Amino acid sequence: MTAVITGVGAVSAFGVGMPALLGGLAEGRAAIGPIQSFDARTFPTRVAGEVPVATITPAWLAQGIAGVDPATRDATIRLLAEAHTLRDRKIGFALLAAAEAWRGAHCGDAERDASLSIALGLEQAFLDDFGPIFTSPDAGGPREIRWDAARDSAVAEVRFRSRIDLAARAVGDLLALRGPTIVNVSACAAGSLAIAHAASLVERGAASVVLCGAADSMINPLGLGGMCRLGAPSPRNEVDACRPFDKRRDGLVIGEGAAMFVVEDEARARARGARIHARILGWGSTQDAYRVTAPRPDGSAARRAMERALARARLAPEAIGYINAHGTGTPLNDPAEANAIRGAFGADTDRIAVSSIKGAVGHLMAAAGALELAASLLAFERDVLPGTAHHRDLDPECPLDVIGPTPRPARVDALMSNSFGFGGQNAAIILGRAT
Amino acid sequence: MTATPPVQRSVAIAGASAISRYGATWRGLARALSDGGSFPGVPAETPLANPKARNARKMMSRGAYLAAAALAELMREVGWSAAQREGAGYYLGVGASGGSLDDVTALLDASIVDNHGTREFSTVAFGEHGLAACNPLLAFQLMNNFTLAHGAIFEGLGGPNGALFSRGSGTTAALIEAVHAIASGDCERAIAGGADSATHPVTAAELAREGFTAHGLEVAEGAGLLALVEVAQLRPSTARLGGNDAANLGSVEAAHRSSPDVIQLGSVDAAPSASLGVEVHAQPILVTGCAIACGRGRDLGATIADAIARATEAAAAVAELDVVVIAGWGPPAVDASRTWARTHAPRARIVDVAALGATLAAGPALGWIAALDLLAASAARRVLVIDAGVDGDAGAALFERGGAA
Repeated sequence: MTAVITGVGAVSAFGVGMPALLGGLAEGRAAIGPIQSFDARTFPTRVAGEVPVATITPAWLAQGIAGVDPATRDATIRLLAEAHTLRDRKIGFALLAAAEAWRGAHCGDAERDASLSIALGLEQAFLDDFGPIFTSPDAGGPREIRWDAARDSAVAEVRFRSRIDLAARAVGDLLALRGPTIVNVSACAAGSLAIAHAASLVERGAASVVLCGAADSMINPLGLGGMCRLGAPSPRNEVDACRPFDKRRDGLVIGEGAAMFVVEDEARARARGARIHARILGWGSTQDAYRVTAPRPDGSAARRAMERALARARLAPEAIGYINAHGTGTPLNDPAEANAIRGAFGADTDRIAVSSIKGAVGHLMAAAGALELAASLLAFERDVLPGTAHHRDLDPECPLDVIGPTPRPARVDALMSNSFGFGGQNAAIILGRAT
Repeated sequence: MTATPPVQRSVAIAGASAISRYGATWRGLARALSDGGSFPGVPAETPLANPKARNARKMMSRGAYLAAAALAELMREVGWSAAQREGAGYYLGVGASGGSLDDVTALLDASIVDNHGTREFSTVAFGEHGLAACNPLLAFQLMNNFTLAHGAIFEGLGGPNGALFSRGSGTTAALIEAVHAIASGDCERAIAGGADSATHPVTAAELAREGFTAHGLEVAEGAGLLALVEVAQLRPSTARLGGNDAANLGSVEAAHRSSPDVIQLGSVDAAPSASLGVEVHAQPILVTGCAIACGRGRDLGATIADAIARATEAAAAVAELDVVVIAGWGPPAVDASRTWARTHAPRARIVDVAALGATLAAGPALGWIAALDLLAASAARRVLVIDAGVDGDAGAALFERGGAA
């Protein structure tokens, strides 16, 4: 059995919906700007690829979710609002993208047994909620977290953090899914791994339909602050903060959003007349097993992930016409990825177009692989390959055919998308044009 | 429904490791659970194999530390070479993240200000002072995948992988993926397990808030790992359970025959072994089925039954189960699992891992370890592990002594 994509939904810095994402990329635009969703003026990093909504409200969310039973939609949103968890922005993004994918695939009651394979980022810590219980037991003494008070019903609004699988539960509730839910938390590789898992379930006959993808937002004080402490973001607070594969690159820019897909068996999709956006031909995952804070410089483990994907797809390297790179724009990632690509593709590397959309929408962390796979569909939908925003001078350490800021017209029949996670998890997925 | 497909290659258990209230060993876990044995507690400072452990621990959450320590022990047991580790898969059920409380306290102290008598978190103060007060690697303490990644880095695991969140069936999903990775030929060796700690104050406070503690949930922590291999990788001449010699097991078999309703356990005073597999009487112990099921819209009993039906469809009849290990968390899950066992497998003995406390994502894996202990050191031939969580999802895994290696 072959897994195919029959529905896609996306939320990104370009806005809500796949048309916004593909439109922005096809026009070569970028959507990085000053952070609006919280007061970041004292943070080292103050720009991001933020979804254009300052606060996610029930009304905004309900307005964006179409094609779903309104009563179920409203009940799902109400529960989240009552628990004060809409503050965790990725939950709303997941709902929006899932509804778009489900609607686009024309799924209905016959698909309710679908499995859900979703990748999610960190629990969002609600640092505001620590305020009432952070005090000193003795007047003038050192302050500490009063856990006894935290357990007291008198401060019932204290939540500390959103549960990591809350978005998965909400998506399942929204669409009344009856299949098993699997939540992948493999950092920046998680989105790709969740989609690969979905394809695997279909290919091995364990599921006929899987709703899969990812949602994440680290654009909150602890998320952004944690990344700042790591030194991962560019120190420049400019809209061109992220410049993948460029000599001048100096770090990543954080993004947020979601991308969800309906993946099903090709024969089933054809039988019900569903439109096939792409075939999922192969995937591979490996671990660097190298260091906590750096990728393996020679890219050997990432290369093995690409080789595994090629082997599973039964494709020779020359069959790949485009690579959507992880391309974070950090000093260490990009040359390591270039080494990995050259290792996997050998002499064919020079004729394979490569780009990264992180300069345009930011690094979506757990959702990066999912959004970038959705963006890659531009190649099949419009015969256009996404550009690399803010890329100007190719770093000789990254000897690849990097597409510059302007999208490149081209027809490709197979493409690869890479994702590499903090901690060393690597994933590669190969899509094929629907025939 | 997610289930393993018809297995193209049989998957056997090559080794195990566990850290739990019972200590840093897997041997004897089931006996202790069955007999109410003593529980010395989770070792506070279980040593990691890697000399960088002291520095590493500063960077890790407790769950990551437990997983890395269990993985180090497992690698000692199975003795995989560097090349074998590079290709080995690693799938882990993980729990919520948890930064160092010292870091969180320092961060808050620098960021919470008095505003006319009300203590308020200030993002401005956080940006100015709070960030500098916390560990530069705080983000890595918070990333759930580091429960998997730290151990993989220390031990050189480089194959297919996944960190799956578990508040119920995620850990069983990790086993499904590891078994599939081997069965489909994606790798020859894989590790499946779970690691988690409910002892982090944030987690403990949330469990209390949600009412679990009031209903008897006992905060705990642990890790359990199985090393899995394609059965053909086992070498009969060397594959045996360390310390459990044939004579000892023979006496256990005899005891079982004379009193078939009672399962007696063999010696657990086993020295660490570098054996290639865990086997009894030249028979490997196989993972013959595993599945998960979603609880949305139906009662837990039906969900458990669904998962079990999928896990056991290609194996022997449920009526032939010798033991049912109950690894769910929360009284409803445990009660529903017991009800299923009494109704559908009345001959089977029930072993409950509840005595280990609420180890959350580690719970199902510790259940597998108990199953392994029973299969390796008693007359039991077929053990089912039931895993059900607080959100109504369920998982099931079937372990059997199988044909010759």
